[in-house]
Amino acid sequence: METKPDVITVNGIPIVVANFNWSVGFQMEKFLKALATKKILAAKCPECGYIYVPARNRCGKCSAKMEEKDLVEISGKGTLVSYTLAYVALDGKGNWTDLEKPKIIGAIKLNEANSTIFMPLEEIDYPNLKIGMLMEPAWNSETKGGWKDLKYMKPAKA
Amino acid sequence: MLRNTAIIGCGQTKHTSKRRDVSVAELVAEATYAALEDAGITMKDVGCVVSGNMQGFGGVAQPDLWIGDWMGCPGKPAIRIATGGTTGGSVAHGALYAVASGMFDLAIGVAWEKHSDSKEAGATTGLMHVGMANLFHALPYGLSLKNLIATTAVGAAAGVAVYQARFYMHRSGATIEHLDMVAAKDRRNAAKNIYAHLQWPNCQPEDIAKTEMIAYPFRYGHVCPASDGASCIVVASEKLAKKLCKQPAWLLGLASYSDEENQLQSENYGGVGVLDPCEQMGARISAKKAYSMAGITDPQKEIDLAEIYQPFPSQEMFFAERLGLFDDGTAWRYLEKGETDINGSLPTDLSGGVNATNAIGSSALQRVLECALQIQGKAGEHQASRKVRKAIAHGWGGVTNYITVTVLGDTPR
Amino acid sequence: MGYLKDERPQTMMVEGDWQVGAYRYKAPRLLEEYTQALKRKKIIGSLCLGCGKVIVPPRNICGRCHQRMTGRQEVSPIGTITSFVISPPVVKGKYKLFGLDPVDTGALKEGEVMVPVFVRLDGSDSNIACLLFNADPQKVFIGMRVKAVWASELKGAMSDLDGVEPLENR
Repeated sequence: METKPDVITVNGIPIVVANFNWSVGFQMEKFLKALATKKILAAKCPECGYIYVPARNRCGKCSAKMEEKDLVEISGKGTLVSYTLAYVALDGKGNWTDLEKPKIIGAIKLNEANSTIFMPLEEIDYPNLKIGMLMEPAWNSETKGGWKDLKYMKPAKA
Repeated sequence: MLRNTAIIGCGQTKHTSKRRDVSVAELVAEATYAALEDAGITMKDVGCVVSGNMQGFGGVAQPDLWIGDWMGCPGKPAIRIATGGTTGGSVAHGALYAVASGMFDLAIGVAWEKHSDSKEAGATTGLMHVGMANLFHALPYGLSLKNLIATTAVGAAAGVAVYQARFYMHRSGATIEHLDMVAAKDRRNAAKNIYAHLQWPNCQPEDIAKTEMIAYPFRYGHVCPASDGASCIVVASEKLAKKLCKQPAWLLGLASYSDEENQLQSENYGGVGVLDPCEQMGARISAKKAYSMAGITDPQKEIDLAEIYQPFPSQEMFFAERLGLFDDGTAWRYLEKGETDINGSLPTDLSGGVNATNAIGSSALQRVLECALQIQGKAGEHQASRKVRKAIAHGWGGVTNYITVTVLGDTPR
Repeated sequence: MGYLKDERPQTMMVEGDWQVGAYRYKAPRLLEEYTQALKRKKIIGSLCLGCGKVIVPPRNICGRCHQRMTGRQEVSPIGTITSFVISPPVVKGKYKLFGLDPVDTGALKEGEVMVPVFVRLDGSDSNIACLLFNADPQKVFIGMRVKAVWASELKGAMSDLDGVEPLENR
């Protein structure tokens, strides 16, 4: 006779979803709205000079306050310092899917700021990637003032 | 034994139902830097950072990793504590342990909650994470939808607190009028506290009695709000406290006790061995431990002020009894005589308490913070009339099974 | 109402969600034992051999002495009300659970007054939470004696124990 295991699998119920709408604060709001005009705004600390992307209202290094007057526009060009290839994607419900072609994710140290950002890389095949390459932003044709306006980074023509 | 430790600075943000002018990181930075300014130190002087909020509320799974550099964590050890409703109390204990143990000379405890980042009203989103596992387990076994709704949603505004209130009223003879009196007192006091949420100047019990009934004996006017806000305390060693602060709030005793849950159902929908949810053995035992550490033998005479964690007015009464401040079943008599008012013999929750301001993660820390302000004489308009020499701060939470108790005084042990 | 107002400017909001229902986890088989016994109109709780507590519905570990609750003990279908809540009459559109209105789902009727109660069944050391049927809400009191109400069709499910009703039914 087959004995049942001591444990059972309990499945969650898919209709149980927690919804959020995170307030971003004034500096981040300016940053996100500027993306609609294909501009990248950084915040420069008035005390220690550290330049942050995205813009924020407190310096993490010296605790000084940063305000609208401390926002500076940068080109978004940067140097590729690292990258990886993603072969799977998540669907947000606990499931994996295999990707036909691996997705490249790069770490780009911005030339006009201290921050390094992580972006998908396109218009290049991964065997041709070189650490130290100059990259630049590629914008969505229709911008709405949010993260998705900055679609990916691509190799820059010096 | 532990070395002497004191709270030397306090900072809070204004609590409202929707602080949509700031992101959660900016909210926390507001309170943190306010506390540092109050203590007269900079972030460079801080030895360690202890932070916390309710796990999962506000939709950020690991907020301490994101807002770390908004609280000055870089270069310092940082620990996050999450113990449900007592998160703030445990954060306070964490910061106090860090200094009392001799490991650090200065530590900060920061706690916050930002409910407005959730789409559902108040704490509903967060409670989904807490309550779902048991229900998922029972539903395949044929738990009827009607039963589910009746036993959870009907009491959902208050959960076990409604049953707790019923038990207390049965045991002690308190009535719904006493709940009206407590809620009115809390909102009246909150109007004198510039950081509180539900501020109703001169609120009277009749005003509360006019509000709609949710589930007897709780009216809308009795129930705590869901607030956005943050609070922070700065804890220092004896040497630094004497150097930096005119009147530090000294740690005399602290204790914490986790009991069996007294919620409706326990792990995997099993029953719970606690029959009377207002018995709160955890509160009795932690109070005894904290008093013995503080050298207090008669709390009814020696404690000058209490900040009790009371999202519901019934809790202000029975927790005061469990903490040894009144004999069992008599708290409502003292309430009637006005002894818990600002000029009474045991002023209780002069800040308005959790009933008027509930940013869950930070609420229990605010109780410690308010006791510190009262001892320092810095409570402004809601400062007690009597001199506060010893005060007790209490926290309640978990799945209604965690208690934290902190006793502060105006002279070191 | 006399509350002071404090309104702040609003900044942009970014949306997202957590799929709380996506979890799949492992749980003990205790409820299966319990529901199979309900089918035979027997309420069986777990017994702690250390301190003698009997808990209904059953659980694995004793909350007081932290031993495994390996014993099983049948409890009486008769018990005492230890606490109760009287809901105001159900209003459609007032509450939503997972985006569903309870009246729309057919689970509750508009105008219905529900009395969820805590009942301590004789022989057990825990409260069970269920509904009280066939009673005048105004006449319910702590200490009232009640008995179990079984579903008309027993399927081996939690809903077999439908609720309780007053012991002396007039």
